[in-house]
Amino acid sequence: MIRFLVPIVCLVLFFVEPIFGLFSPLSIGGSLYYIVPRFLILFLIFLSVFYELRHALFYGLFFGLLYDVFYIDIIGLYSFLYPAVCLIAAYVFKKIPQNLLSATLLALGLLLVMEVALYLFFLLIGLTAAPAGTFLTARLWPTLIANSLYLVLVGWVFRSMMVTQDPQRDNRLGLY
Amino acid sequence: MPQFLTNKRLILLLIGVILLVALISLTLRDRGQVSLPEQIVKEAVGAGQSVFSRPAHFVTGVFDNIDSLINTFEENRLLKARLEEFAGVQAEVTDLRSENGELQELLDKEESLREYNPIQAVVIARNPDQWEEKIILNRGTSHGIQENMAVMTARGLIGKVTIATPTTSTVELVTTQNPNYRVSAMVLGEDDVFGLIEGYDAERRELLLKRVDFSVDLQEGDQVVSSGLGGIFPKGIIIGEITEVTIDEFGLTKLAYVKPAADFSMLNHVIIADRLMPEVDGEDNGLTAEEDEES
Repeated sequence: MIRFLVPIVCLVLFFVEPIFGLFSPLSIGGSLYYIVPRFLILFLIFLSVFYELRHALFYGLFFGLLYDVFYIDIIGLYSFLYPAVCLIAAYVFKKIPQNLLSATLLALGLLLVMEVALYLFFLLIGLTAAPAGTFLTARLWPTLIANSLYLVLVGWVFRSMMVTQDPQRDNRLGLY
Repeated sequence: MPQFLTNKRLILLLIGVILLVALISLTLRDRGQVSLPEQIVKEAVGAGQSVFSRPAHFVTGVFDNIDSLINTFEENRLLKARLEEFAGVQAEVTDLRSENGELQELLDKEESLREYNPIQAVVIARNPDQWEEKIILNRGTSHGIQENMAVMTARGLIGKVTIATPTTSTVELVTTQNPNYRVSAMVLGEDDVFGLIEGYDAERRELLLKRVDFSVDLQEGDQVVSSGLGGIFPKGIIIGEITEVTIDEFGLTKLAYVKPAADFSMLNHVIIADRLMPEVDGEDNGLTAEEDEES
């Protein structure tokens, strides 16, 4: 069943992201806070650590490409970043204690890396002129906080969805 | 990690990186036309996105309604006060309008830069990573939208169409950092003053009105509208209000900070202005496409 569930969840998350994007930037007390929804990549990180890297890489490439073509108009940016992040996630997860908390922290850490990489890229091509301080306060922290809320809310759903579907893996890790 | 980087994988990785860099640099340039596969993807994703954005708009609509209900009493009091003024202004407007019509008839002037054909559109998505200020609309070339058309809300100008496919169009907002993004504007006053909206100050959240003649006296609070002289935008779309006047970095022309009239944070319904007067190719910066290539 997970074979069908994964693409459906990916598709829904992909379409829901820009809708949450409509609410941003939030203006609180006169200053703007950009909250970037990163639902899909967080799901893909979970997929690559709890289920299978191969699937995560494939969906990462596919949805990254869609993201690039539809929103960014720079092809190759997200279609590279998504699979790359999944690859790193799977690699690092083998070396750390494997439970929900560590996966959540890993996902957030990788999200931070990805945001910084994107900032550097856009700084390089001149699409943004925001100084590093503004980037940190107006974008990075709000994004991380909002996405960690999202992970806390649905992370365990993702894991139970993936782990129970694969009994072999379940035995190996002894998660329950 | 010997099993991770075998020779085959290394070569694949290298080829991948080369392809990636090539693709990025190829698509980074300003492209007038989108390729066919891109167009197909945009159409397909756009169709899916409108399905998802409809309930979202419904929900935000409900919240907006509740919000306005709470403020009803206060607003009503204010509006009543304004209503008396309004009757007088209304009479004056009809008078001026009919006079304007008569005078134009007298001059045999039928076309005006002011007139445009409004096309209503719904925002189906906002670029979720928000580095580039972009929104995507559910109308495209099959509804008469073309590149570079002005996009506005009821309150003022918000941007222009950068890419149009048959059923979707991408709008770059005026708050972009793109240095090639210019809108020819004028400041309303006793004498109209012309300039270019060029650039956005992200810290102040205000637009920059540049290339204004040094000898001209600009006042804070003056209204800035599009001038229609750029060749694409109709005349008279409200852009914003001047908040500060300074001198530009070269000391030769004046620079004014303009607070945008439109609210960029929650965009829902927008209007695309299809100008009735023939449009000039290129961007709304007073240069035609040919001139652009030369310069």
